[in-house]
Amino acid sequence: MNPRARLSPLALAGVTLGAAIMLAPLLWTILLSLKANSELMRDTASAFSGPYTLENYRAILVGSSVTHWLLNSLIVSLGTTAGVLVLCSLAGYGFARLDFPFRRSLFVFVLLGLAIPEQAVILPRHQLFAWLHLHNSYPGLILPGLVAPFGVFFMTQYFRALPAELDEAAMLDGASRFTLFWKVLLPLTRPAQATLGVFTFLGSWNDYWWPLISATRSARFTLTVGLASAQMNYAQTSGLGFLMAQAVFASLPILIVYIIFQKQIVAAMAGAAVR
Amino acid sequence: MSGRRDRLAGFAFVGPFLALYAFLLIYPLFMGIGLSFHRADLFGARRFVGLENYARAFADPIAWQALWNTFKLTVLIVLPLTAITLALALALNRATRSAAIFRGIFFASSILSVTIVTLIWRFILTPDAGLVAKIVTALGGTPPAFLSDPNLTIPALAITTIWWSVGFPMMLFLAGLQQIPADMYEAAALDNAGPWTRLLRITLPSLRRTLILVVMLQTAAQLQLFGQAQLLTAGGPSGASRPVVLLIFEVAFGRWELGYAAALAELLFLLVLSVTLIQYWAVGRAAKDER
Amino acid sequence: MRRLRPLAAALALAALAAGCGTGPKKTQITIQRFFGECGAVYGHSIDVGAAEGECGIVTTLINRFQSENPDIKVDVNVVAWPGYPQLTAQIAAGDPPDLVTMHQSVISDYQGRNLLEPMDGVLREAGIGPDAITPAGLRGVTKAGHLYGMAWDTIGGLFHVNTRLFAEAGLMRDGKPVLPTSADELLAQARQFKARTGKPYLVQSEVSDAASFVRNFYGYVIAQGGLLFPDRRHARFATPEGARVVQLFRTIEQEKLTTLNQDTPAAIASFMNGEGGIYPTGTWMIGAFDQEAKTPGRPLAGAYQVYPYPHLWGHDAAFVDGHAWVMPKRSRSPEERAAVVRFLRFMAAHNFDWTRTGHLPAFRAVYANPAFGALPHRRDIAPMAAFGVQLPGYVQRQSAIQGLLGEELTSAVTGAKPIDRALRDGERRVDELLDQIP
Repeated sequence: MNPRARLSPLALAGVTLGAAIMLAPLLWTILLSLKANSELMRDTASAFSGPYTLENYRAILVGSSVTHWLLNSLIVSLGTTAGVLVLCSLAGYGFARLDFPFRRSLFVFVLLGLAIPEQAVILPRHQLFAWLHLHNSYPGLILPGLVAPFGVFFMTQYFRALPAELDEAAMLDGASRFTLFWKVLLPLTRPAQATLGVFTFLGSWNDYWWPLISATRSARFTLTVGLASAQMNYAQTSGLGFLMAQAVFASLPILIVYIIFQKQIVAAMAGAAVR
Repeated sequence: MSGRRDRLAGFAFVGPFLALYAFLLIYPLFMGIGLSFHRADLFGARRFVGLENYARAFADPIAWQALWNTFKLTVLIVLPLTAITLALALALNRATRSAAIFRGIFFASSILSVTIVTLIWRFILTPDAGLVAKIVTALGGTPPAFLSDPNLTIPALAITTIWWSVGFPMMLFLAGLQQIPADMYEAAALDNAGPWTRLLRITLPSLRRTLILVVMLQTAAQLQLFGQAQLLTAGGPSGASRPVVLLIFEVAFGRWELGYAAALAELLFLLVLSVTLIQYWAVGRAAKDER
Repeated sequence: MRRLRPLAAALALAALAAGCGTGPKKTQITIQRFFGECGAVYGHSIDVGAAEGECGIVTTLINRFQSENPDIKVDVNVVAWPGYPQLTAQIAAGDPPDLVTMHQSVISDYQGRNLLEPMDGVLREAGIGPDAITPAGLRGVTKAGHLYGMAWDTIGGLFHVNTRLFAEAGLMRDGKPVLPTSADELLAQARQFKARTGKPYLVQSEVSDAASFVRNFYGYVIAQGGLLFPDRRHARFATPEGARVVQLFRTIEQEKLTTLNQDTPAAIASFMNGEGGIYPTGTWMIGAFDQEAKTPGRPLAGAYQVYPYPHLWGHDAAFVDGHAWVMPKRSRSPEERAAVVRFLRFMAAHNFDWTRTGHLPAFRAVYANPAFGALPHRRDIAPMAAFGVQLPGYVQRQSAIQGLLGEELTSAVTGAKPIDRALRDGERRVDELLDQIP
């Protein structure tokens, strides 16, 4: 942190303007969600003045499937995050600390995966999963997300940066490689875990194309797919308030979690070593 | 002895990830490459046609249009995004409470999903009902047709994406800034260095690795932009804002030409790979020149 | 960790126990549809008469079917319109639904690849013979001599008219709007309209609405006797007939006789707010506009009428499509098949309710029903069921064609490309597409 300097007025103005631009769309959405559909159909500018109503939110709580989609998205995103953290920590430690044949080549092999766009594999993957009967299931939605070359890269760098003396000390005490990993080094990677966890969670949360073609039954709709399906052809005209209310409602849990854990998230990301 | 144990342990640790990686990424990649040499549909029909799909892609003006759109989008997004997030990180890298609040605000948009972001921005940009339109009309002007004017749809997608993506690069820059040792600044203060000198001589060079990481990640990400284009402008009008990934989607699911879609996807792969490698190489050269 | 184990075991046992003993196994069928999701408003309501709009009516209909047939479990899958990427993905994955809504123009794609069940037998069991369906409906679902769907409605383009503005423009006679009988007349009337009311003659959704351009084009080319698809591998758009149609709309665009830059929601709002004379959209909007017409104080109050597209060239023709219920190929038990039969019989019996959406019914009996005639505007638009035509049955990939052609037509009408080049590009791209079909 740079505690000495004070923001120049120009910088302050810039940041404030930026923040206003960030917030304005969100506020506009909230305003729209608080108006009756019929009023918005005539003129969306009516959102600037009363009367406001909670009718759209009541409708969600009563009958909409948003909560169901939210739950599916949560399960998938949490599952993916947990899986990535486990697999990438294990792999990161292996690449960073253990010597085995082809280690370097395998690492480069994994790095190349960073350049493979999803589209080059998504259609064959769809076929593969069809053969394995994995569609419309949670594993079907989680497994693709576990293939995270970035995660391995990130964790490997972090493990590399941990002092080697820790290893030597533990080995002298007769600890196994796994104990060394589990008890000594892993706890030290908490900031990296937090960063990778947030990054993975958000990536999974926002995933659109794969859930669209894999979770085609409404029981497994994630948020992205569900919200798209809810729109009647003309929902944006005759049901705008309700649509916006769904968008707000769908974002609320994440927003709340974020506000509560903001300090930890920021600290974790700030402390994460980008070595 | 421990060498052999080490080796086994090594494979045990990297094994699970590698197994999934090979099965779910490499294997489909090769399946896709194979598919690109066939005329195929999504239901099992297959006919080997060699390089015909690739020849078709090179001769297809729509594919070139998509490529050009992708290039425009990537440049329009990555450059401003990097500059803006760097500036934000520099400005907000302090321990005050207001800085924390601002950081929170700038990160907030990243947690939204793409369907929500495009829904929100549709009702900002649309010339009839959008927020921009209402403001411009109130000020007496004509609202720009962001979602239908062929010259404005790509900027519209760029603005939406930048708004959405500010959070994560800003965080990466903040992390990078915090690793700059304080004594470097103290030394500079002793030399009476001004703020610009500090920025150019100390901060930016120290941030080089983060800068590279941000640019590389963002470039790779924006080369694959899909959701916003599909949901906000549907690639329109007439493909003016259709990036390569949207074209692949339409070819695969709209036109059922799986082989051609696979060929386009492999070409995209080559594009992302070469851009990444070029960036890596260019950075390596710059580093060498510095020494 | 250790203490959780007995707890986990207990939970597992409880879950198992709860799962057992739910009674005899019900037959389950999966029904997939678009039309949107309105569970918030209609939930489990079975009051079809009170429901409004496509979503409301289809939701209450299915709810009612479920309640009248408690031994069948209906699993409703709502997908984003038009649902074809999802259906394709499901078929590719080997797990399609039992019944799915499909546009009649799309049936040939799936039928041509042998992915749909012929439904002659099923329909016969449901008591639906070919003579029960309208000619337009029958044309829509018959491919290669067999019925591949239960036709449910006929949808087409209509001129929705704001009669108050028309009166202002001096274009009303005997309480009915004066509609043009030739292209020149249309331009003349449009100019008169704009001069007298200051508003554009047409309200058009030009953004992200390929269907509307294509509908205008197909309809008027067919009216002039043009042959759009001489065979299954070729399209012919760059014809004098085609150019004539596009030129008309280009002129309208150039002289600003139409609204510009609007997408569908904007155009709907615009028409409802009285910002234009005619909105050439489809049967599906009748319900919404009629609602506006009944609301006092609104610009459209008491000022709404609707007619088939005016005859401008050649003979009367309209390009129509329709919805149908189709059965993707999959293994079905006899009970499941019987459940499908019951569903189809139910939906056929309630076709009148569906036509409250504004779509024209596919069942002849409904036309004979006096309640149908009593529905607002139906008499005015019923002729379309007679002269509505679709593309020849051998034309596949119609929705992809619509996308490609729509793009080129948009370019031509907005002036981004010369008309001739746009039509030729459209032909070339569609030929390429059709050539790719195995």
